[in-house]
Amino acid sequence: MAFLEVKDLKVHFPIKGGIFGRTVDYVKAVDGVSFEIEKGKTYGLVGESGSGKTTTGRAIIGLNHITAGKIVFEGKDITDPRKTKQDFRKNVQMIFQDPYSSLNAKKRVLDIVAEPLRNFEKMSKAEERKRVQELLELVGLSPESIVKYPHQFSGGQRQRIGIARAIALKPQLIIADEPVSALDVSVQAQVLNFMREIQKELGLTYLFISHDLGVIRHMCDQIGIMYRGRFVEEGTTEDIFQSPQHIYTKRLVAAIPDIDPTKREVHMQFRQKVKEEYEQSYHDYFDNQGLAYSLQPVSSTHYVALPEKG
Amino acid sequence: MEKNVAVLEETEQTEESKSPTGFSIFWREIVRDKLALISLIFLVLISAFVYGISLFMNQEDIVTVDLFSIHQPPSSDFWLGTDYGGRDVFGQLIIGTRNSLSIGILVTLMSGAIGILFGLIAGYFGGTVDNIMMRILDFFMVLPFLMIVIVFVAIVPKYSIISFSLIMTLFLWMGIARLIRSKALQERELDYIQASKTMGSSNFKIMMTQMLPNLSSIIIVNMTLNLAANIGIESGLSFLGFGFPEDTPSLGTLLSYATNPQTLEFRWWIWVPPAILILVLMLAVRNVGEALKRATDARQRRG
Repeated sequence: MAFLEVKDLKVHFPIKGGIFGRTVDYVKAVDGVSFEIEKGKTYGLVGESGSGKTTTGRAIIGLNHITAGKIVFEGKDITDPRKTKQDFRKNVQMIFQDPYSSLNAKKRVLDIVAEPLRNFEKMSKAEERKRVQELLELVGLSPESIVKYPHQFSGGQRQRIGIARAIALKPQLIIADEPVSALDVSVQAQVLNFMREIQKELGLTYLFISHDLGVIRHMCDQIGIMYRGRFVEEGTTEDIFQSPQHIYTKRLVAAIPDIDPTKREVHMQFRQKVKEEYEQSYHDYFDNQGLAYSLQPVSSTHYVALPEKG
Repeated sequence: MEKNVAVLEETEQTEESKSPTGFSIFWREIVRDKLALISLIFLVLISAFVYGISLFMNQEDIVTVDLFSIHQPPSSDFWLGTDYGGRDVFGQLIIGTRNSLSIGILVTLMSGAIGILFGLIAGYFGGTVDNIMMRILDFFMVLPFLMIVIVFVAIVPKYSIISFSLIMTLFLWMGIARLIRSKALQERELDYIQASKTMGSSNFKIMMTQMLPNLSSIIIVNMTLNLAANIGIESGLSFLGFGFPEDTPSLGTLLSYATNPQTLEFRWWIWVPPAILILVLMLAVRNVGEALKRATDARQRRG
């Protein structure tokens, strides 16, 4: 039994129109996504903007309404957030994309990081203070920071505060929604390495959402590639980067920039070739509406969205 | 190198001392705007004066009719003369200003509390809840305020500051509710609210401890501006005779003596002081309010 199991998840947003605000159509943000995450591993969700990767993450933690499908966490069905016990909230936490809007500007760091502790653990003021200081030290901030306000920190430091808050309750699963996209490159590496460290230390499982293939390659054990609300390919990091099967994945991998200037020409020709292949064989890989087919196994770990006949 | 470190430490220290949108910004804006500063000092002085002196005055004595001293011009006994009942106008002015200010503050606070709660709930939940609550609000908006107040005056036999404030509050909470609701609708989409949800805070707790502090600046500004409006509304109602009875003086009741042509033409000491006081009070509150309003928007700030 997998640690977290997502079965045929669908999140549709209604489009209201007409005089009476009837539902005219649906935006199918997530349209039939299934995957499993093993304990202690990192699962990467990749895709372009609007492919539904963030919506998937938010649906799992209960911020978006789930239209259909099932989410099973440690054998318990947690699809409906209202019926879910509060322990689930304790075990699943989220790191948000924007370190600026995800921290309340009017609160001190102490209040921000202690918020989950106040909700779930009965602690005295002194214990709470001590715990927050420990957490801040763990994320590499000085313990004196507790009396400061978020605006007194840089983007990277703020993201660390966000991480400290997410790990305060010792959760088992952390949904990291583009945790480094808003940070500059030098800080990105810092935060990512730090996230790997605490993963080992605390035995965390990550659902890592990103559009940055370099980051994903660095962080993830397994990867799912999304396109227009569906998976086009799923597999281990080697499967995806060494032998991409789907034309969309191929083009995505080809788009990773190469910093070696002597290979510039070669790389560009390769990209051109993949682009031509993409345009020629587009209809072999996508149906009439331009959506991906359902996943077919290529190997025991590797699944690709191909038409039934192959 | 060492110099750099010193500079860094210095900037850190100065940053530590200010919070992003605190009272320091309000204060700086008011100090920078001389008119607002004078207005604020004037307001503080006049309310201290009025509330202080009225402690030593007896309202019963002042509103008692004295037929031997009707319509006296200002003298050393009666600083601002007397009215048609021989009552001391200066005493009435002090007590009246106190009553008007009290009503204004009370109505502002009560309507503010109701409006903030209503707006927060509607804005935070949005959707159907918002829709239903806004229709209730619309219903209150279309009620004819003046007519219902007149009916209340007829029904309620004995008026007090409290009962009059309650009636006014019933019709004056909608403006701030709308404002708060629109801000709350914006605020609820932000990540820090979503983060609170994922950390298991209850909706009520999120509204009160997360959302409300972020709306505090517009609440302060709006309530200040409402204060001026509410003093004006009370004076208006009393002037028309639907506010306080004569034995509870307010700025409006004093002003209403001017409806008598004799008083208007020959006995200026009865109606000129309250008229000036209303004008100056409302202008002063407004000046302070406008300065606060500018302080909430970084682009309009002068300080």
